[in-house]
Amino acid sequence: MNKTIIININGIVFHIEEDAYEVLKNYMTDVKRHFLNSADSLEITTDIENRIAEMFSEMLSRENKQVIVEADVKAVIDQMGTVEDFEHADEDAVSNPRSNTYDYTGGTRSLFRDPDLRLVAGVCAGLGNYFNIAAIWFRLLFALTAFFGGLGIILYIILWIVIPRAVSRADKMAMKGQKLTLQGFKNNLEEEMSAVKGHMNDFKHEAKPFLYQLRDFISDFFYLLGRFFGTTGKLLIKILGIFILIDFFAMAIALIVCLAMALIWNSGPIDVFPFSIIDNKYFGWICISVFLALFIPVLAIILLILKAIFNTQSLSRSSAMVMLTVWLFAIGTGLYYGTKVGKGFRSSASFTQTAPLVNSSNNTYYLKLNDIKYLTGEDSTRLDIKPGFNGTINTGDEDFERNEPRNMSITIEKSDVAQPVLVQTFRAKGSSYENALFNARGTRYLFSQQDSVLKFDRKLQRISGTSWHDQEVQLTLKVPLNAVVVIDDEINSYVWGVDLYQCKEDNKRSDANWAAFKMTVNGLECKVDTLVTIQPDTLKRIK
Amino acid sequence: MIAENTQTQMRKGILEYCILSIIARDETYASDIIAELKKAQLLVVEGTLYPLLTRLKNNGLLTYNWVESTSGPPRKYYALSDDGRRVLEQLDTTWNELVFAVQTAVGKNN
Repeated sequence: MNKTIIININGIVFHIEEDAYEVLKNYMTDVKRHFLNSADSLEITTDIENRIAEMFSEMLSRENKQVIVEADVKAVIDQMGTVEDFEHADEDAVSNPRSNTYDYTGGTRSLFRDPDLRLVAGVCAGLGNYFNIAAIWFRLLFALTAFFGGLGIILYIILWIVIPRAVSRADKMAMKGQKLTLQGFKNNLEEEMSAVKGHMNDFKHEAKPFLYQLRDFISDFFYLLGRFFGTTGKLLIKILGIFILIDFFAMAIALIVCLAMALIWNSGPIDVFPFSIIDNKYFGWICISVFLALFIPVLAIILLILKAIFNTQSLSRSSAMVMLTVWLFAIGTGLYYGTKVGKGFRSSASFTQTAPLVNSSNNTYYLKLNDIKYLTGEDSTRLDIKPGFNGTINTGDEDFERNEPRNMSITIEKSDVAQPVLVQTFRAKGSSYENALFNARGTRYLFSQQDSVLKFDRKLQRISGTSWHDQEVQLTLKVPLNAVVVIDDEINSYVWGVDLYQCKEDNKRSDANWAAFKMTVNGLECKVDTLVTIQPDTLKRIK
Repeated sequence: MIAENTQTQMRKGILEYCILSIIARDETYASDIIAELKKAQLLVVEGTLYPLLTRLKNNGLLTYNWVESTSGPPRKYYALSDDGRRVLEQLDTTWNELVFAVQTAVGKNN
């Protein structure tokens, strides 16, 4: 079984086997090449083609078959003679001065546009070939004259239209004034095949009318234009794609690093607020599921972009299905543990403990925030805080403070007894009452008194290893009647029910970083400093 | 080389004369001309005939008619033009002179 090709020789259709076609095509290319520079080339080759067609027809009808095979073509060629035979017979023609079969033997050059060395349409390269001058000078000339009202451009376009493009090897050899020999052709026959393009009637070199040259020019022009925009457009998209790709790669790497950090370096839960919600038991699972839920779409996008830009192979159906399944599973796991974590906030519980304070010597209490705490070794072990430089730990870390919701508040009330008392109410949430209470118990609040100075920790400490369950402590400082409470600016935001700024105003000391209050029967009131207050009568006297 | 050149010169002249002579008899198709030339062992392959015919036609010695063919494309049937006829007459004379010259010059060798 052989593949056949349908060819059209001057209006007659033949079915020809592929091998036979190749032989015929090569033969016709040789023949056309041979007569290329003859004035009667078209007529001669048409005659030959017609004769070949006739011989084919005869063969087909004689042998009662439908397809031309290689042997038929060979028979035809034998009868018609090869190019070598022609060459032999033509030797007489050489002696005939009127014959112009070989025009280029003397090294004369023909003007063609050179498609091999072209910048735009090869006009300058062709001119360079013709005059045997480097094309650059013509380019310069055109570029310079282009400034004279576009003369160079118009001239160039005219030349583009008028000068034919060197299509075949013969053209190119003629363009460079090389001697035209059959041997020269045969060395590069494949290259020239494009000139024939299997269409046996296509005579590009024969008295091409102006219209055809114009058509060539226009198609050339739009081809170039299209190629320019095509390539730049593609390039832009590719560059954009690469930028997006880099972003997604960065994302993927960031995700992997996060996972590694979470799983390897920090075996326990991260003690930074949004993560500290998660229970220790679920932490690993949630990490992995969140990672997969984010990583798989990122990976998918990377693969898609890669396919779009670099035409890489798309993911096989099965791998895509595996990815989708894993992703859905990750989402499911995430949701499952997410609800588990959420369940840990259903109930709430609180307990209260009262710590008696010592009466201060001057009945004044200074409320201060314990910003920097130097933990003793004992504290460190009790709270399981790893000591930092020189065994100190700075718990006044602002970032740390902002991360977790505020979990300490102070209210100041009148004490029923003659002694100040600090009531600490610990609250927390949990999956059940017991659990919530357990969570509340798992905290530690540090408070210290040094005579009149009361130092409050900024936050309630969770015992390491427990997760955040909205633990909070409500402190109620009960001071005896007439006691003076000096509230620091820093602690102000933790203290409920006092207006520090108003009190400062009242005292005309808005630049102070504290304000003093006095416990009255009605509760805490601003203590207006008598030393600063100007009596109305003294005011009159000054006037 | 010189011999070859002379051979081809001679052949060429005779070939053109023969072609014109063949066509002179009747309107002739290229393959008929080939058949006769092959018989006369003047020409081996068909391909070389076409450029010759075209050239003779373009020189005004030949005319042709398109004749529909039952097998294949229409055929070109060549005939002599008036010019061709005149040229052929001259060639006939020349040929007779040549035959005489050759017989006179070469015949003595035999």
